[in-house]
Amino acid sequence: MSDWFVQRLEERAAGFALRGPWGDCTYAELGRLTAAARADIRALALDGPSVFALVGEHEPAAVAWLFALAAEGHAVAPLAGNLAEHPGKLAEVGAQWIVTVAGFGWKLLPRMSEPSVHPAFLRLRERGHAGLVLFSSGTSGRPKAMVQDLTVLLDTFAGRRPNRLPVLALLGFDHIGGLNTLFATLAAGSTLVVPADRSPPVVAAAMARHRVAVLPASPTFLNLLLASGEAGTRDLGALRVITYGTEPMPEGLLGRLRRAFPAVRFIQTFGTSETGIARTESPDASSTFIRFADPLLEWKVVDAELWLRSRTQIDGYLNPQEGADRFTADGWFRTGDKVELGPDGTLRILGRLGEAINVGGEKLMPAEVEAVILGVPAVVDCRVRGEAHALIGQAVVADVVAAPAADQEALRASIRAACRRALAAHKVPTRVLFVDAVGGPRLKKTR
Amino acid sequence: MSVFNREAAVRLILLRLARLGAELGKPALAQADEQTRLFGEASHLDSIGLVTLMSDLEEDIHRACGVRIVIADERAMSRLTSPFRRVGLLADHLVELVAAAQA
Repeated sequence: MSDWFVQRLEERAAGFALRGPWGDCTYAELGRLTAAARADIRALALDGPSVFALVGEHEPAAVAWLFALAAEGHAVAPLAGNLAEHPGKLAEVGAQWIVTVAGFGWKLLPRMSEPSVHPAFLRLRERGHAGLVLFSSGTSGRPKAMVQDLTVLLDTFAGRRPNRLPVLALLGFDHIGGLNTLFATLAAGSTLVVPADRSPPVVAAAMARHRVAVLPASPTFLNLLLASGEAGTRDLGALRVITYGTEPMPEGLLGRLRRAFPAVRFIQTFGTSETGIARTESPDASSTFIRFADPLLEWKVVDAELWLRSRTQIDGYLNPQEGADRFTADGWFRTGDKVELGPDGTLRILGRLGEAINVGGEKLMPAEVEAVILGVPAVVDCRVRGEAHALIGQAVVADVVAAPAADQEALRASIRAACRRALAAHKVPTRVLFVDAVGGPRLKKTR
Repeated sequence: MSVFNREAAVRLILLRLARLGAELGKPALAQADEQTRLFGEASHLDSIGLVTLMSDLEEDIHRACGVRIVIADERAMSRLTSPFRRVGLLADHLVELVAAAQA
């Protein structure tokens, strides 16, 4: 098990590691849960590395299982969010075991259909290391699974300076940013505060109740927090630092935030699922430019696109056809982020190159939404795109060609209903427009 | 050009809320009135729901009044009292936007 984790479990035994709707979990309790999870894994008497899907949010049992699987050298795929997307992801990673978590408890189930282990996991096992699988939206509409070395990732958190500043968990347990927040908080021996959901009122109430000092959030969440009026009605006086990332920060919004939280320091972060979260600094508090200050990371800008190479980058994609062109032969990752260079080695994120749509920091590819819409009766063709939106960064728009006799109002409702059933909430088109034709072919309707 | 007054704006928002409520399985939205919270504490809409409501209203207004408006703009976002907080406030905001677009 990671040395720093063991050390914190001992030093901070009586301190809170996690606080959330399921109650408070001390470091001692987290240690007991982790030991119990390790015992459950050993009782399976596995003769090689196995792939575990871990279904839950930042709950005590989920965190315990993550560290237990890392310690036992297995691969773990955290799954959170919309259940409808889980079957595709389970199949993509070939999960052999499923752990479903609720607060302090868990259930462990075999998934009999998957006898073999992907070579990517066997390569990790040869190094004696555990694996982590995260997903991003694939260009074909299929989820894209990325494999990384969990042992190396955890090691990068060793030697963090201890502090007692409670941190809010806003990004998901299946998101590199959400895991980074978890590891950084525990490595500092601090407390992670987990809200019951991510709506501004619930988050603001949890922040006030547990005196949260550090809020890692997307610009969209911060925008919604201001728009909901919660920032003015709750006592957020303990708040000292807001870190923001995952999408561009509009300058107007940063100005409004600094007026609403005059005593808070704003720090921009930057990361990708492929390369991990980078340490960055800002030239000054009112600037939307950043500078990389991370000894584990190299960067350069090629044709206005940001390229990164880091020690914590992924080993590769499970399906090598997916996104293999995102990495160069010498290990550079093309982020797909369009950037502008500033003075003194700084840069600013302008948005995405290509087709990806960024809704409040959560990305999606048009093809995965188009595939669902094309399955709706009376839809002849469709094209999905992003459009700028002052509340959530970008909104998902579907241009739809309907069958001649279709009732458009009813069809709009069925399109959204089909998307809500099959996709995560941020992928559902907020605007459905009926058009006579859409541009060139991307997907063809086959029925 | 048809007249788009406050009464028409409230009626349009309540109609859209009821339809959205049916789509989202939130029948309480059919009982909304001018004081109903659209966003924030005790509201039935999340951010995606709120954006969906805005998009539908923008399309309705285009059909009814022949003008294209954008409900969430930087000016709306920087107001001290957000026009997205209650039905009545959003109605005021819509009337203003339509009048400006028709001027």
